[in-house]
Amino acid sequence: MEMYHSKKRFPILEIAKINIRHNSLLSIVVAIILCFLTTLLIGTTNLERNSSAMPLEMFVSLIGIILLTPVFQPEQNEEINDLVSSKYYSTTKVELIRVMYLVGIIVLLISVFALYMKIQNCDITIILIFGAVADSIFLGSMGMLASALTGNTVIGYMPPLLYYALNIGMGAKLGHFYLFSMSIGNYIGKIWMFAAGVLIIIVSLLCQRFCRRNPFTFSY
Amino acid sequence: MLLIKEIKKIVKSISYLIFVAAIVIGLYSQDVFHFNEQLLQEPQPGGRYGFKHEEIPEIIMPAALSDLWAEFSANNYRTYPIGFIKYIKLNESKNRKMAEILSEITGNKVEVILQEGKAAFDNPDNVTFEIGGDTMQQDSNGGFIINSDSKPQDNVGRIMLKVRGDMDYSRFKELMGLADSLLGGGSNYASDSLTRYGSVPLTYEEAKERYNLAINSDQVTGGYARLFSDYAGVMVMPILPVFLAVILCMKDQRSKMEALIYTKKISAGKLVLIRYLALVIAAMAPVVILSYLSNIMVWASYSGIKLDYFAPLKYDFGWLLPSVMISIAIGMALTELTGIPIAVAVQGLWWMFDVNLGIKTVSSGYSLFRLAPRHNAGAGSWFRTQDYLENFQNLVQNRLLFVGISLLLVMFTILIYKEKREGKFSGNVSFKKAVSNIRNCKN
Repeated sequence: MEMYHSKKRFPILEIAKINIRHNSLLSIVVAIILCFLTTLLIGTTNLERNSSAMPLEMFVSLIGIILLTPVFQPEQNEEINDLVSSKYYSTTKVELIRVMYLVGIIVLLISVFALYMKIQNCDITIILIFGAVADSIFLGSMGMLASALTGNTVIGYMPPLLYYALNIGMGAKLGHFYLFSMSIGNYIGKIWMFAAGVLIIIVSLLCQRFCRRNPFTFSY
Repeated sequence: MLLIKEIKKIVKSISYLIFVAAIVIGLYSQDVFHFNEQLLQEPQPGGRYGFKHEEIPEIIMPAALSDLWAEFSANNYRTYPIGFIKYIKLNESKNRKMAEILSEITGNKVEVILQEGKAAFDNPDNVTFEIGGDTMQQDSNGGFIINSDSKPQDNVGRIMLKVRGDMDYSRFKELMGLADSLLGGGSNYASDSLTRYGSVPLTYEEAKERYNLAINSDQVTGGYARLFSDYAGVMVMPILPVFLAVILCMKDQRSKMEALIYTKKISAGKLVLIRYLALVIAAMAPVVILSYLSNIMVWASYSGIKLDYFAPLKYDFGWLLPSVMISIAIGMALTELTGIPIAVAVQGLWWMFDVNLGIKTVSSGYSLFRLAPRHNAGAGSWFRTQDYLENFQNLVQNRLLFVGISLLLVMFTILIYKEKREGKFSGNVSFKKAVSNIRNCKN
């Protein structure tokens, strides 16, 4: 009977806490370092709205790549994968919990950064925070998808960084998917990016689930 | 031969396929395969040839004064201390010092400057600038151009802001240097930036000279190869090779082959060097091919002109190779040291900040610690060959420095590998232990 109850129980907070400590700590530290470096290197004082968008879009939004790309890293280790597969907890649910708390951390870090900018007399609005979060989730989701498809987190970092470079090179030609659109006063694209980001995250989780059940070997 | 084996191992992997695809996408987005649509045009008499920046005191002094006054009255100064934009607000004492500088330049009293600065912010129409005689006008870029048809301006303002007639240019530069120091450096008033205010139209002779340089010095293909290197250098080559290095170094760990390889006869130095060489060759191969593909596009358009068919190769090895070397060296050293892909974060952050530095001045594109040197000049500006030649020494210093650091990092990697192999250094084990200690500590 007790066994039955424990199977029914799904301790979300406990799973999140353990995962933060064991799987996300280093990524969180690197993300905080990025935010800190941005305040040191980039002007974050007395900026009007379009200029305020620049540090958020060009630098802080990269925390999405740092935080979300390694979501599947633990299960990419064969031994860990074998172990977690034997558990009655759904691995996909655990990965979903990871995504949820990492998105929460993204929102938190961007909000704290925006608050710091506000204190520094910058013109910060909620839409700027939402835009940076959308960029961050979109970039991170690209990393997640690449990581799920290849089974290698390191490769996962490549597409979002390339996409970032493309944005520097191609600029507004990327339309709604231009990462730095708020710097030129365009906010509509952020809704598209947010929606695309969420969709790609869902696809990544499904891919990871499929690849775990039907493992195929790539040569790295 | 081990080198061939290692190269095969790299190029047959899925990560290499993604690497090549990423390079092609990155470069294609910059139109490097359509250089044939940007051909050199010989300047014709009577045309317009663009602008150049020159150190002409009569143009620079009023233009710089105009900008400084505008920023002073708003107490909002734009600077680029390390390349990124930074806005500065001066406190009262520094604001007064700035007013003293303006006072010396214009001959107005400090109190008047302070008072009018505040008034000008509230009502900018109250101030009149005398640009510098009836032959000069401000262009759309904020610079000043000479126009013989211009008429004298009416003096309708409360304060006349013009450079004192007896102001010596060297003293003006000193004062602007002081203003720059007050702002913490990196402003438009720094001595190396002042020439940006001296915008004058290019003459036919000058345009022709630029064209001839592109034909004779660059032999046309050199200009295109340089533009290709600029794009490849900034978009892909300083960052993507780090992935190959990290993946290769972690492969032994992933397949649990580390201990087995440690027992092999081959020396640590030889193994690390061969792997490094294999990675560099694998990373450079697609770039060399693509640089030729891009360059060949224009060859047919310049029949009758002597072309340098080795230009892409020269730029690939002189310009891009050091970026590839440093990227791979960082990837190998940090992965061997920590056993985790931290090199991606390190190189990624460096690249991201370097890319966003932009190009404030021509020489800033060639500064010593620039990961990706910049010279973004196409056929429309005759490749700005003169600027390249003037900064060539800086480029050589920069590239040699990167090669030197790369080799030092490779030596460091050999050392780590050797120590790990002999069991004297546990490398990633120590690192992981330290991290797991933090993880396991209770709140």
